[in-house]
Amino acid sequence: MAARREFRILGMTPGEIWRGFVSTTTGKIALAFFSIMVAFSIYALVALPPNFGNLWNTPSYWQANPKYAPPAWINFFAGDAYAPQMAVRDFNFTAGSSGGVGYAVIQFAVDDSYAHPWRNLYVIVRSPAVYNASTVAYLTVERPDGKTVQLGPVSVNSQFVALGLSPQIISQVNSFYQSNFGVQNAVPAGSSAIPYLFYTARGGDLVPLKGTYRFTITMYSFSGNTVLNRKDLGVVLEGEVYGLMGTDFLGHDLWLGLLAGFPIDLAVGILTAAIVVTLAILIGIVAAFYGGLVDEVLTRITDFFILLPAFPLLIVFSVLFQWSIWDAIVFLAAVSWGGSARVIRAMVMQIKSSQFIESALAAGAGRGWILRNHILPMVMPYTLYLFVVNVPGGILTLSAINFFNLAGAELPTWGNILAYADEFGALTSGYWWWVVPPGLLITFVAVTFIFVAMGLEPVVNPRLRHA
Amino acid sequence: MRTLAIRSVNLIIILFAVLFAISYVLSGPAAQLLQTQIQLEARAIVSQLAKSGHYTPTQIQDLYNSIVQQLYKAYGLDQPAYIRVFYIIYNMLVFNWGYSYFPDVYGVASGKVSDIIASALPGTVLLDTFGILLSAFIGIQIGLRSALRYGSRVDRAVMYYGAVSNGLPQWWVGILMLLVFSFYLSTIRSPIYFPSGGILSPKYYSMWFASPLSVFTDPGALADLLWHFALPLATVLIVNVGGWAYFARTVALNTAQEDFVTFAKMKGLPDGRITGRYILRPSAPAILTSILLGLPFIIFGGFIITEAVFRWWGLGYVYNLAIFAPTPDLPVIVALTYASTLLYIALVLVLEVLYIVLDPRIRSG
Repeated sequence: MAARREFRILGMTPGEIWRGFVSTTTGKIALAFFSIMVAFSIYALVALPPNFGNLWNTPSYWQANPKYAPPAWINFFAGDAYAPQMAVRDFNFTAGSSGGVGYAVIQFAVDDSYAHPWRNLYVIVRSPAVYNASTVAYLTVERPDGKTVQLGPVSVNSQFVALGLSPQIISQVNSFYQSNFGVQNAVPAGSSAIPYLFYTARGGDLVPLKGTYRFTITMYSFSGNTVLNRKDLGVVLEGEVYGLMGTDFLGHDLWLGLLAGFPIDLAVGILTAAIVVTLAILIGIVAAFYGGLVDEVLTRITDFFILLPAFPLLIVFSVLFQWSIWDAIVFLAAVSWGGSARVIRAMVMQIKSSQFIESALAAGAGRGWILRNHILPMVMPYTLYLFVVNVPGGILTLSAINFFNLAGAELPTWGNILAYADEFGALTSGYWWWVVPPGLLITFVAVTFIFVAMGLEPVVNPRLRHA
Repeated sequence: MRTLAIRSVNLIIILFAVLFAISYVLSGPAAQLLQTQIQLEARAIVSQLAKSGHYTPTQIQDLYNSIVQQLYKAYGLDQPAYIRVFYIIYNMLVFNWGYSYFPDVYGVASGKVSDIIASALPGTVLLDTFGILLSAFIGIQIGLRSALRYGSRVDRAVMYYGAVSNGLPQWWVGILMLLVFSFYLSTIRSPIYFPSGGILSPKYYSMWFASPLSVFTDPGALADLLWHFALPLATVLIVNVGGWAYFARTVALNTAQEDFVTFAKMKGLPDGRITGRYILRPSAPAILTSILLGLPFIIFGGFIITEAVFRWWGLGYVYNLAIFAPTPDLPVIVALTYASTLLYIALVLVLEVLYIVLDPRIRSG
């Protein structure tokens, strides 16, 4: 048949489309946003462990993190007032055993220059053999003012030992203040004792004492031949501020949660749009191309789905059938293709009634040939546009459903993070770092696709090209 | 007129199809609801009788069984699912919506689902209907003005604002508003701050529940209502005006390229006449179509959750309460879905009529 034809979409080669897309401001912004979004999604898939969804729902995984802590970078604006979370890694370690008693000495020093020192100190034991072996720990702190605080023994009987709230440590810190500064009951009831290691008394008031603090943690294991290894032990100082994005009510690292939201939300949007567009193309083309009774029936079905109130139904079914996020996506897509199908049907109708189709028919072309060679090539570019247009709707609707804690409460989606923020009083306590970023990201992803659609508009709507 | 009649019949048929479909899917859970309710009722009657003490346990059991049987029959529970659907539709259409499992959650004394929903309807009308109409009005004005100044800096700003606002989750904007104008303003002890939610201060609740209109005649209550209304309305406007402006701008730009507009310009007609008669008037049907197609997303997407965020006593907030009541409060959820479907289809019907009135091509076709 014909010689090699140049590949063109709506009269433009792919190169021309690309140049047209990138030449507009909107196209440039869209491209930049899109690259950022894809980069974050890939980074999230690579950087997060594959079972991150499970970890997110394991509260013990996050227990060493502070609860409700703002991000660490607020220190830029607050003049380094808040002590950041600190997992102590480079401690000096000596261990051994004598007379059937295993011992380990952990030594490290921290520089304290913060008005709000660390909240708590955790000893993390990664081996059951250690915390099942009647182990105890002593803590000695040499302060910059030359005074030394002796604390302990605290029994190390679980994976995770929080020193600050042990009644014994609180009373030892109180008696330290009593004997050195004559201050009674320095540690208020219900509060952790650890911050008070970093204070001193001046004129009866407790003020932060800045400088270098040397910590020595000595552990003894009494049930014979237990060997204490460096890799089994860890020390964490719970900060007032945490990481890039702060933490929530369980101490979840919000930066990781937000990162995990990228691939999920992208998948949600793309999957919804893909199903919507596939159904819309099928039904729109079949209705317009066959006409007659088929068209009549399909148009009625389309009207029916346009009239279904998708969102309330989505809520009801998510409650009744405890849907997962994927069920919700399939349902949402299955009821929201109506508008797109209507557009495609109108388009095919218009193409069908144009003169070149008549000529082709007169020249003896079959219906299948016309569908393949005239109708599909003209409709396909538009479906790409429809696809892009449908993505934000899917993302926004699913985020809204997640905000009700439905359909996918098990995943760290942005909607879910916001749901917990609302539930645990982020609004009445002003936890802005928990509320602002997830919503911004939802908006960012939705707006990215809207900008891509805007950039594509001149391509699919030739009337706008030279406007 | 004929077209209008055909469209209305069409819509009403589709309305019933939608109701039928929803009823069919819900008939399983709804039947369960009814069964538990009937069993509770029967148990109550039987235990009353048992207290009087003249029955043997077997007699009691028989009595219970026969009461349950009779009630099942009366409610049509012994019928196959496709017939039961009509019972459900009938009950829903005559507002016989049953009783809430957890009436305390809503603070509506009778616990009747229809009462709960009726008490929430005025709030929804105030925020959603008024909010949509006001934002559509403002947005379309802005959009048309900016289309007339195509390419100017203002026009580009309107375009980007419109695009971004289409991607804004309305409920999140509501959360931000609460954080800034309620929480932060009251923490810095600003003299002006806004409430953290609710439709009215608690002392006016009884007034609102008795008759929402009476609130508008009492200056104190009205001021309180407006104070509570400010943040939700601002949220609705911020998010929705942009979309309308963007859309009206696109439609007007498309119309402005039509040949008849060029011809009107060539005839030397005054500018005002060209915009009014030759650009705006032909754009109206297209704008209405978009309202038509956009409504489900606008009302049932953003608003349900926005109401919940502001604890604004409307259908959306009741949805939220019903989902989170100790366990999901099914009678309320099912009835709400029905109510919102009816409401939505009624709105579409009104818009279809408007559309036919505005577009002569459809009227004659």
